[in-house]
Amino acid sequence: MKRILSVLCLLAMVLGTALAEGQGDEKSGAKPAAPQTVKFWYHFDNPETAINPLIAKFEMENPGIKIVAERVDWGSYYQKLVTAIAAGTPPDVSQVKLWWQPQLVEMDALEPLDPYLAKWAGKGDVFDNVWKLTKHSDGKQYYMPLQMVILYMYYRTDMFKELGLQPPKTRDEFLDVAKKLTRDLNKDGEPDVYGFGIRGAKGGHDWWGTFALSSGARFFDANGKSGLTTPKAIAANEWFIDLYRKHKVSPPTTPTDGFKEIIANMKSGKTAMTIHHIGSAKEMDDALGEKISACPVPVGTEGSWTSFGDEENAVFKASKVKDAAFKWVAFLATAENNAIWQKASGQVSINVSNGDKSDPKLARFMKATVDSMPFAGVLPAHQKIAEFVDAVWPTVTGQTLLGQITPEEMMRAFEKHFQN
Amino acid sequence: MPKKRLDLFPYVLIAPAVFAATLVVLIPILQTAGMSFMNYLIYKPKARSFIGLKNYITALADPVFWISIRHTVVWIAGVISLQLALGFGAALLLNRNFWWRGIARSLILIPWVTPSVITALMWRWMYDGNRGVINDLLVRFGFLRHYFPWLSNDKTALVSVMVALMWQGFPFFTIMIMAGLQSIPSSLYEAAMVDGAGAVTRFVKITVPLLIPILFTTILLRIIWVANSLDIIFVMTGGGPGYSTYTLPLYSYVKAYKALDFGYAATLALLLAALLAVVVAGYVAKVLSTEDSQ
Repeated sequence: MKRILSVLCLLAMVLGTALAEGQGDEKSGAKPAAPQTVKFWYHFDNPETAINPLIAKFEMENPGIKIVAERVDWGSYYQKLVTAIAAGTPPDVSQVKLWWQPQLVEMDALEPLDPYLAKWAGKGDVFDNVWKLTKHSDGKQYYMPLQMVILYMYYRTDMFKELGLQPPKTRDEFLDVAKKLTRDLNKDGEPDVYGFGIRGAKGGHDWWGTFALSSGARFFDANGKSGLTTPKAIAANEWFIDLYRKHKVSPPTTPTDGFKEIIANMKSGKTAMTIHHIGSAKEMDDALGEKISACPVPVGTEGSWTSFGDEENAVFKASKVKDAAFKWVAFLATAENNAIWQKASGQVSINVSNGDKSDPKLARFMKATVDSMPFAGVLPAHQKIAEFVDAVWPTVTGQTLLGQITPEEMMRAFEKHFQN
Repeated sequence: MPKKRLDLFPYVLIAPAVFAATLVVLIPILQTAGMSFMNYLIYKPKARSFIGLKNYITALADPVFWISIRHTVVWIAGVISLQLALGFGAALLLNRNFWWRGIARSLILIPWVTPSVITALMWRWMYDGNRGVINDLLVRFGFLRHYFPWLSNDKTALVSVMVALMWQGFPFFTIMIMAGLQSIPSSLYEAAMVDGAGAVTRFVKITVPLLIPILFTTILLRIIWVANSLDIIFVMTGGGPGYSTYTLPLYSYVKAYKALDFGYAATLALLLAALLAVVVAGYVAKVLSTEDSQ
């Protein structure tokens, strides 16, 4: 009996405390000036340098709004975001990529920003082309631009000079130069330097796009039909695969080379050319100085194509603080703040007025970026594009680079993915 | 009446454990089973529907499923045998008397306590086809003429990853076998020596039979863990190049988090669980019958 009584007493105490806390919550919830908290997900290689001063600046300019920023690992960013949305607990604002947009719209997860943008004074200072590229196919603007990059080609000026070569302008010139740069320096029967570093692992679709989409391949033609298996598209893909399989101008590790490997290979002199963007320019310049420069990617048989790398912010429909959330994304898209952000990210500002504020040491890379702007493109807004980038492209291309399937079968596999 | 209270008491005691197990094991399993009968694309919440056995039929006709099964079998058999061999050898060495035995026993735990992601990254760079230390040593000692792309070649990628997992997991075998070795009474060895038994005979007739129960448990645990492990493969190769290092858990992961097809991923996970249950049941039955016959 004693024991039962003591348990009851304990229960009463616990309940009492809980109820008292509940009342306290109610009281504080009734206060009109309670700060609004905006939960923000982002990814950044070096968070300390940029995000904290920006948050402090925002909170000072917008009393009553608090930003809780959470840095999310890029490798699992999208899966974390999608599962959080499915569970009904997304952040208020998150950094997003264009190729996620079709699925996020399908999930009805995004808040259209058009009503907010109509009243936002900073709209005119964002490049027109960026608004155009980030607008969804349903005509609504769900994304607030944040940063951009345009892929160009790095080349080793010292190696070009040594062999008396010029940066290639066309795909034929490119192949010729890549072959000449592939050299067996120590005469052991194996090349020590390779002309071109292909990214064969995840993310390499941009390398593929540069050569396939500029020479006849299209994801979809004007009527929405697949343009991946036309004779031209297959020939363009074969040309790309031959760089590794036939001409062997890319290192033997190509099928698994990712971002770290292609950059390390350029820095160590294993490769003489590769494709990337201004985000890696500082690192390249620090390591190689004047020995490295950049130019636009070569022209294909039907024009040029390079990848427009984007990053935006989105406000989620489930957010209870949408006005505050918009204030934060607008703050980050304003020239002064965007310039601070880009200083740490090493990418390009989306603001017209930030155009001439880049680091003069990196001017040659900025020039290659600007020169590439007219033909920069994005992947199609298709619900299966995210899976294409993340899983289908790396796996199927890996099989082709290994010789397990033909370049034609590779393109048919891509087509099948989008048709299923 | 007091008798009745006594009957209920054990159930009350295990109730929290049963409740917790139901919450974290049973309910998720039932949810997974439910998902496997559905068209469950996470980005199409409105299109979710019951599709019966369609996911299972698709899996059986899916070439990648069969590639993954084949790799899973090679993965389990290869990794477990390598770990057993290395772990057994290390246990026998560490069971001998030498002055720095204590330090050696602590050092051998390093692979086991190193987080998987670090192990995977470390091995990935060691295997690197352009700068890796493994290639460097093999070329220096004349075993190779040129650097070899271990993880980029479909013939060597899976084996290379298996070696990394072998390194990570063998200390578990060592520790378990060492514990077993220390429980064998030395009087048995002394008696055998008096009877003229040599080292090999003592090992085969005394050490191995007396270690069987502990080996059985260790192998069983490792089969389950190794079959489910995907972190090392994921970080080292991501399943590539092509499908060269795809195993069933990895394929299920890719389907869930890259294709966002939770229905199909659940089907693959359940098929793996079923296969594992068959293997484990067969293994247990075999070992029990061997023990009975002894």
